[in-house]
Amino acid sequence: MKRRDVLKVVGGTFLTGTSCAYAVQWLAPSRESRSFEGTKKGMIIHLDECRKNPGCRDCIDACHAENGVASPEDKRWDVHWIRKVQLKKKPGGGHAGDDSETTEGQSILLLCNHCDNPPCAQVCPVQATFKREDGIVVVDHHRCIGCRYCMIACPYNARFFNFRDHEEWPANGRPKRSHGVAEACTLCAHRLDAGEKPACVEACKQGAILVDHIENETDAKKLAKATWGGGTDPMSVKRIRPDLGTDPKVYYVGL
Amino acid sequence: MEIKFERIEGKTPPFYLLLLVFAAMALGGLVATWWALQKGLAVTGMTTRVPWGVQIVMAVYYIGLSAGSLVISGLYGVFGKIEYKPFARLAVYMAMLFLIAGLLSILTDQGRLDRVFVEPFVHFNLQSMFSINPILYNGHILICVIYLLALFYEMKRTTTVVATLAFGWAFCVHSGTGAIFGFGARVLYESPMLPASFVAAAMASGTALMIVMIVGLFKATGRHVDDALIIWLGRFLAICLLVVVYFLFVENAYRVYVVELREAAIYYLAGGFHSFLFWVGLILIGCCVPMLILFHPRTGKSIRWLVFASALVVFGVLCERYVIVIPGLTHPPELFPGMEVVSAVTQEGPVSYYGSWVELFQALGVFGIIGFLFVVGLKVLRLLPTEARALQGGNNTA
Repeated sequence: MKRRDVLKVVGGTFLTGTSCAYAVQWLAPSRESRSFEGTKKGMIIHLDECRKNPGCRDCIDACHAENGVASPEDKRWDVHWIRKVQLKKKPGGGHAGDDSETTEGQSILLLCNHCDNPPCAQVCPVQATFKREDGIVVVDHHRCIGCRYCMIACPYNARFFNFRDHEEWPANGRPKRSHGVAEACTLCAHRLDAGEKPACVEACKQGAILVDHIENETDAKKLAKATWGGGTDPMSVKRIRPDLGTDPKVYYVGL
Repeated sequence: MEIKFERIEGKTPPFYLLLLVFAAMALGGLVATWWALQKGLAVTGMTTRVPWGVQIVMAVYYIGLSAGSLVISGLYGVFGKIEYKPFARLAVYMAMLFLIAGLLSILTDQGRLDRVFVEPFVHFNLQSMFSINPILYNGHILICVIYLLALFYEMKRTTTVVATLAFGWAFCVHSGTGAIFGFGARVLYESPMLPASFVAAAMASGTALMIVMIVGLFKATGRHVDDALIIWLGRFLAICLLVVVYFLFVENAYRVYVVELREAAIYYLAGGFHSFLFWVGLILIGCCVPMLILFHPRTGKSIRWLVFASALVVFGVLCERYVIVIPGLTHPPELFPGMEVVSAVTQEGPVSYYGSWVELFQALGVFGIIGFLFVVGLKVLRLLPTEARALQGGNNTA
């Protein structure tokens, strides 16, 4: 075979392969063609209500049971779709422009913020992480290649990875995930689609968590006032690091 | 100037021993990767908070080495410095192998290796640096193959065109790799300077490795290489190092100066093992000592000293890759300015990373694969010249 023929075969194979791959992608049906009523889904957590019961972890247990999240208590690899953490003042902490009124020693619930500009979805090389039309950010476990770039990109440390298989998966009909894929809170999208409340909302006896259509901060303030009464200070409805430009959809009262 | 290239005979016991060692390393890497695929990445040292480890460090290191190797070939291919033609084939072949090593390191680090060969092509995401980079990497390998063919068949015009393309492409490849980190939201990653400083470190490490390889290979195979050629490469390396140090200084001075970043800067510069690697591995061993050797009028002209300085740079840039990747992850993102997040069930504050034996074997395995391909390449391809001589007089171009 001549040199020119070799180049033709190599070049032709490369071009054909690439063209086929992109043709398949172009022809493939787009994700989520389902239409959603109303605006974007968001969450409000009333921290003052939540803190009335300091040791409570009903929302966490309900979430993990509902979604088959296995946490055999190894800090290094455990998956936590929702987690309760404490805040401590850094030595010499706080700097100019810091208007946070967060109190030392207070607990706070952390979870995926279902950002309107989700960095995790932006960096996913296979579009396994994507935002649904109702704003909920989800992961397709059958597509994820386990590169973990989304975990690096998430500014809220809200994404987790299945570092190993779990023998003790809660048997509740929710799909098991193989090791090697990323995951995070889905806002119980499967329950919302069925017209039910998310597991954490249903489990919270304090009524401190709310999920509804929340387009923006004004909506969140109105909704908080309507839910928890006139005593709710609209100024106390805040988000975590909105300055990052991710437009998080989880709001906190009393942050 | 007639330059003849030839294969090595490759029939001596050391040759076969070297092949055997590389094959054993490759086998060890395959077993380690199979183990990680079976058991999950929990067998590595990576954790929820440090989801990238040794393999990503090695990937960016190899990709950097590839750029540097290509620079040496570009001296002939792009700039027409005919006296560096003897090294051109070797340099392009090494550039290709290092890129393959970078890709292998990334591949073996994936949670679901079975999906890597399908999903990224079918569900391409143009917004992700992780999607853009494989195009750059694979394109780079393809260009290297064509470049190598052009060199083998002595196609002078094609060589110039492809070499120029490869040179420009290499800049994109290494800027793209730097952008994976530099465009990230982490305090110690986020920096538009990172792609540029990444290119500088890549050129330094690649040039340094080529000096070590050329001197070592020519000596081992009984070939002559003029000192003047290596001394010039040493000077080039010294300038690359100056640029590396300049970038490092500006980046860290910025972090220390800006109030918001100061806490992260202190963590980076005085926060544990990574700080030790930064100051001792990168600054002292990887930059200061080599620069002293390279700029000194006597040692800068001694081949032994040049090889020693180059070996230090190769090590220093490996440390540099580590302190780019790991501290950016072990340092936690600031969710609440001025506050620290603590938890009994999750790792929230600054964390540690300890690589595992599995990762070490994987890294050695990738090295074994390209080492094996390199040695086989010397035997089956005409990569090495009979000799390499500097030009007499002032005419240094073809």
